Amino acid sequence: MEMVFIAAALIIGLGALGAGIGFGLLGGKLLESTARQPEMANQLQTKAFIMAGLLDAVPMIGVGIAMYLIFVVAG
Amino acid sequence: MNRSARAITHVPLGKWLSIEMAVLLVLSLCWLQESRLAGYSALIGGLIFIIPNAYFAHRTYRYQGARRMHQAVSNMFRAASIKLALTAVFFAAVFTLMEPVHAPALLFTFAVMVLVGTALRWLIRPQPQR
Repeated sequence: MEMVFIAAALIIGLGALGAGIGFGLLGGKLLESTARQPEMANQLQTKAFIMAGLLDAVPMIGVGIAMYLIFVVAG
Repeated sequence: MNRSARAITHVPLGKWLSIEMAVLLVLSLCWLQESRLAGYSALIGGLIFIIPNAYFAHRTYRYQGARRMHQAVSNMFRAASIKLALTAVFFAAVFTLMEPVHAPALLFTFAVMVLVGTALRWLIRPQPQR
């Protein structure tokens, strides 16, 4: 039973780590490129927003599976 | 002058929401063929995605333009964290409070809606107003 909790913790933790690194890089590059070309700010923000959706997708599915493991499989 | 008139970029939040709701309705009707429980589990699975995602889109575009890019980026970080936390809370609430749940329907619809939401952002992009 403890293995289920460890599995859920790994899913959420690694997903959050990946998303955190991705968002950090995305935000940093967005600021950097906006500082270089301020006139492109709107287009860059839109592109960053689309990329944020892609970044979020896998951790969100991971959260769903982890909650299923915690509350249904182990519960 | 209201907020939408001042905005540099028009975010088609209403259009995204209506298309997502239509796709969710179709998926729920498909799952309804299996059983009533699967139908409403699918509906809830889709709503678990749609509500935090709408919040994220709304909050990310609160600040726009090069002068406010620092605020926009920090808002995007906060919105992403809150979106992930809201998703976890909604899943936990559904699995604990709603006793009969058809888990495959719930998780499958959620995963499909995540993909639909990403594809929608790509296909119907926010348009600059000037």
